[in-house]
Amino acid sequence: MNVISIQNVKKYYGKNRGLEDATLEVREGEIYGFVGPNGSGKTTLIRILTGLIQATSGSAEVFGLTPGIDSARINKDVGYMPGESFFYGELKVREVLAFFAKEYGVANTRENELAEILDLDLEKRISALSFGNRKKVGIAAAMLHRPKLLILDEPTTGLDPLVQRTFLDLLRAEKAAGTTIFLSSHNLAEVQKVCDRVAFVKEGNIILVTSMDDLIKQKVKKVVITPATDITLDGLVKTGATETEANYDFRGRPADLLARLASLDLADVVIRDATLEELFIGHYEKEEEA
Amino acid sequence: MKLLNADLLRMELRRDFKGLLTWTLALALSMYVVILIYPMVIDMYAAIPPEFYPMMEAFGGIPDTVVEYYATEGGMMLQLFGAIFAALAGFGAINRDERERTAESLYVLPIRRTAFFVTKITRVSLEVLFFILVNAVASYLGFLSVAETIDYRSFLLFTGLNGVVLLMFAWLCFAMACLMKPNAKQMSAIAIPFVLYVISVISLLTSDDGILGYLKYTTPFTFSDPVEILKADFRFEWISFTVYMSLTVIATIAAWRAFQKREFAF
Repeated sequence: MNVISIQNVKKYYGKNRGLEDATLEVREGEIYGFVGPNGSGKTTLIRILTGLIQATSGSAEVFGLTPGIDSARINKDVGYMPGESFFYGELKVREVLAFFAKEYGVANTRENELAEILDLDLEKRISALSFGNRKKVGIAAAMLHRPKLLILDEPTTGLDPLVQRTFLDLLRAEKAAGTTIFLSSHNLAEVQKVCDRVAFVKEGNIILVTSMDDLIKQKVKKVVITPATDITLDGLVKTGATETEANYDFRGRPADLLARLASLDLADVVIRDATLEELFIGHYEKEEEA
Repeated sequence: MKLLNADLLRMELRRDFKGLLTWTLALALSMYVVILIYPMVIDMYAAIPPEFYPMMEAFGGIPDTVVEYYATEGGMMLQLFGAIFAALAGFGAINRDERERTAESLYVLPIRRTAFFVTKITRVSLEVLFFILVNAVASYLGFLSVAETIDYRSFLLFTGLNGVVLLMFAWLCFAMACLMKPNAKQMSAIAIPFVLYVISVISLLTSDDGILGYLKYTTPFTFSDPVEILKADFRFEWISFTVYMSLTVIATIAAWRAFQKREFAF
């Protein structure tokens, strides 16, 4: 069953493009990454899903309902964390979370648990919090009511590395509990760590939707050899070189690559899997060429 | 369907409390002091040369009693600054969430847009009523302090009608914020009471029976004019009242419709 269904959604702010054409489906129980550079339309799509803005054309559905028209019903089961979390500065963290819990209609049982996990001081005033700590309040406010769907916009930006790790563990736990998660990010490392599927967006268009498994199955190996040497082998493509080393992409049988490398007098060899970032950049470059 | 969200209302009132208190106490103190110095200004009025009387007449004339003095000084001040306060409060109810970006946390809650609308306009109305009430009490204490007896019916009438005008400004500026694009400058709200106040002053200065004579119907300050209510023989300006009541109702309905589809993008 699809929790989110987006069909040819377009959004323009006057003459300015927000989103050109987005089609995607998010299945129940998965973590879905929406990846792209700044200004590519990630936040625009998320704001359409939360009912903050309306699409210029196309259709968007969350739980089979239309955001904007049915937002009050949809939002009962959604936890949303914006890219930057702002709350009433005059209130304490505990008061803000209590208000959110009340509006979601849940007994306020998770605030202490989440505060402990995220190392959040509930007695501090919002106005006294740093950007990162406000982000933590945003995470807690989004997860407080155990929503069926979590929508997170750039969730780890501004968090220190330790909290980032804790947060990603928290996401995995939420997923294990049955929560569907839709997150936007330009941090490919975090997407790689937690997402089941990923959509790449560029200049308002979704250019690729794939599962992480399929992406990894592309089995692109990055090969770096020292000194820089020209090698010919089926599946081996030179991607760059410096004075001291040469870089290659390899798709093929590892045994063939190792045999070819063994026949050369090389000072050093590095063979590793391509990162999501490298695959992402590869797709972008292909799109540019097209 | 819940039209008023009491939790949101409480939170909004807390959010605005300091600003509300600052405006209210500043004006209330001014009202109190204005009345308190009445015994000292009697001689000043007596010393005004007769050739200035016609000009003074346009602004309420030379006051003979503390209430007349209050009408020409405190009442007019309360009208203008109260209207500016109400305009800012009304405009800020929606605009502040966009300016401070709390909208993105607030409007994703399972609360209907109509409930947001009703709650926010209720909050603005409560703040204006609080402002009016405290200022009325401060003025009353001022009258007690100078040991003057006054016609409290007229005073209450002015307080009530001034309250209606301030509520109109608050609702009109609330509507204006809903009808304008997000992140509109809050200072634009001040333009409404300021311009209308200037119009009311011009209408006071003219005895024209032509176009200028109709100016008084274009401003709500006319039907709550403190000089008319507290000093002269009061005649309620139904036309001005009806014009502004209708405008407020129409603007509020238009704002409610616009608010249902308002986009929160920053």
